[in-house]
Amino acid sequence: MMFKHLFKLIWNKKKQNFLLMTEMLFSFLVLFAVFTLLVYYYDNYKKPMGFEYQNVWVISYNNAYQTKNADSLNNYYGILRKSIKAMPEVRELSFCSFNTPFSNNMSQGRVTYHKKEFYHMNFYTADDSYQATMNMQVLEGRWFNKTDVVAKDKPIVINSDTKEQLFGKGTAVGQLIVNGDDKDKMMRVIGVVQSIKVKGDYAPAGLGLYQRADTGSLRWFGKIMVQVVPGVSAAFEGRLYKTMANYMKDSNIEIEHLTNKRTSINYFTLIPMIVLSIVGGFLVINVALGLFGVLWYNINQRRGEIGLRRAVGASGNAVSSQLIYESMILATLSLIVGSFFAVQFPLLNVFDLSAGIYISAMLLAIIFIYLLVFVCSLYPGRQAAAIYPAVALHEE
Amino acid sequence: MIRLQNIEKVYRTDTIETLALNSISLDIAKGEFLSIMGPSGCGKSTLLNIMGLLDTPSKGDIKISDQKTDHLSDKQLAQFRNQKLGFIFQSYHLINDLQVLDNVELPLLYRNTTAKERKMLATEALEKVGLSNRIKHFPTQLSGGQRQRVAIARAIVGRPEIILADEPTGNLDSAMGNEIMDILINLNRNEGTTIVMVTHDENMAHKTHRLVRLFDGSQVQ
Repeated sequence: MMFKHLFKLIWNKKKQNFLLMTEMLFSFLVLFAVFTLLVYYYDNYKKPMGFEYQNVWVISYNNAYQTKNADSLNNYYGILRKSIKAMPEVRELSFCSFNTPFSNNMSQGRVTYHKKEFYHMNFYTADDSYQATMNMQVLEGRWFNKTDVVAKDKPIVINSDTKEQLFGKGTAVGQLIVNGDDKDKMMRVIGVVQSIKVKGDYAPAGLGLYQRADTGSLRWFGKIMVQVVPGVSAAFEGRLYKTMANYMKDSNIEIEHLTNKRTSINYFTLIPMIVLSIVGGFLVINVALGLFGVLWYNINQRRGEIGLRRAVGASGNAVSSQLIYESMILATLSLIVGSFFAVQFPLLNVFDLSAGIYISAMLLAIIFIYLLVFVCSLYPGRQAAAIYPAVALHEE
Repeated sequence: MIRLQNIEKVYRTDTIETLALNSISLDIAKGEFLSIMGPSGCGKSTLLNIMGLLDTPSKGDIKISDQKTDHLSDKQLAQFRNQKLGFIFQSYHLINDLQVLDNVELPLLYRNTTAKERKMLATEALEKVGLSNRIKHFPTQLSGGQRQRVAIARAIVGRPEIILADEPTGNLDSAMGNEIMDILINLNRNEGTTIVMVTHDENMAHKTHRLVRLFDGSQVQ
C-alpha cells in the first residue's frame, strides 16, 4: 500500500525528480558499457588458452636464404632444423607464418561454405610439427603429415571456433570450404584443433584455419617456434642465438619467450578496460555524491512532511525506510528506461557480442545501481529518522 | 482522558537552561473541549506537543486513555499516536504533491487497511468537513479555510479519541475561523471527541468547555 502512495508522490514530483533520474539513467548506461567490457573480457579469460605457451620461444629472422631451387631450400632449412633439434634443451620446433600467438600480426581472409561467407578468418601456415610444438589439442581428425602432399584438395585444419560457426555440432572432417569465393580453391578439412587465444587471455580466439607449409612457404617464413624443456638457462638461449646467427649470416635474429609476449599483449588489451573502469569509477563516485547531496537536500526540504508523518503514526524507521524506498522507486524508473536502450544491443547485435554478455552486463549494472542508491540513501534516511517531529512541525 | 502530573520541560543548551513548562498538572475528561491560551512563548505548543507524544517532558507523568506512555518505544509511540490522536496545525502541514484524498488517507497508511477502506474512510471524513467535491484537487488549489478543513479531515479519518489542535484558526480570517471552529464543536458534540486547542483568540476559547491559561510556563487559570 505504501508503494502506491510513494509512487504517486514521486509521479507528482516528476519535474523535481527528472534530473536525479537522468543522472541515474546515464550512470546505468556507462556502467552497462563498463560491465559489457568486463564480462566480455572475463568470458574470454575463462576459455582455455588452447596450447601450452610456457616453454615455447619464438625465433624471428629476416633476409632468409633465397633460391629458386626447391631442393636447395629444403636442404638449407632441413640442416637448420636438425641443428636446433640436436640441442638437448629443444623438444620440438616448427617453421610457421609470421602471425604467431601474442604477436599483433595477422593474416585474415574470407571463406565460403554452402554459399555462406565467413569474414575475419585467420589464415595460419605451419609445418607438420607445429601442433606438437605448441601442444595443441586435436579435437577431431588429425594434424598435417607427409601424406597430405598428394592430397587432391588442399588440406586444412580448422580451430574449434570455426568448426562451431561453419558446421555447428556436425562433423567437420571431410567437409570442403572455399577460399574466398573462388571455387577452384577448394580446401578439405582434415582436422579440428582447440582454438588458440592468439591475442592473449582477454581476447577471443576468433576463426582460424591452418594451411600446411610447403617448400615454397619457406621462402617467406620468418618465424620458428621452439619448445624447450622447462627451466633452461640463459646460456642455452645464447647458444641458440649463436647457432641461428652463424647459420643465417645476414639475418637479424630475435628470440622471444611466449610468456613475456603474453604478458605484454595482455597489457594492451587491459588498457582500454582500465581506462573505462577509471572513467566509470569517477562517474560512480560523482553519482554517489550527487545522489547523497540531493537526498540530503530533499530531507531538509521535507522536514515539515517528515514531522507530519511522525505525528500521524510513522516511526523513525518507517520514515527512514520511506526515503530509501523512494530512491529505489526512482532508480527503478530510470533503470526501466535504461534497460530499454541496453536491450537494443543484443537485439540489434551491435558489436557482434553474444546476447549472454549483454544480459549479464545489464544485470550487473542494475544490481550496482540499486546497491549504490541504497547505500547513498542509508545515511540521509537515518538523518530523516532522527528529525524531532515537534521541532520540524514548528518550523513552517 | 488525559492526565498530566507535575509536567516540567527544560530546554538546555551549553550555556542556557530555559524552563518552558513548570509543574503543570491537568486532567482532561473524555469528551471535553479544552482551550489553552497565553502569550507567545509561554509554553502552549510545548504542552500540546507533550500531550501529543511528539515531545517528552523533563519531569512529570503523563497518562492518556489510562495508559502511561513514558516506557513506550518509538514504534509503539508512533502506533499510539496513529490510533488515539489526531493533529491539526496552524500551517495545515498538507503535502502539496498529493491530492486532497491522498492527504487525508495519510494516517491510514500506517495501519492495516485496504485501499478500498482507506478511500471510503477518507471520503467520509471529507464529507464531514464539506469538501467531498475537492478530493482530486491539490492543496495549492484550495483556500486557507479549505486547507484547514482538509487537515481536520486528516485528523479525524482514523477516528481518534483525542484531537490536538495548535492554533487551527490562527492563519484564517474570522469568517473562516468560525467555520473551522463550528466543525470542531460539532465533532466534539456529535462524535464525543476530546479536543485540546491552543489559541490566541479569546472568542474561540470561550466557545470551548474550559480554558487553561499559561504564563511563563506556569498554569495561571
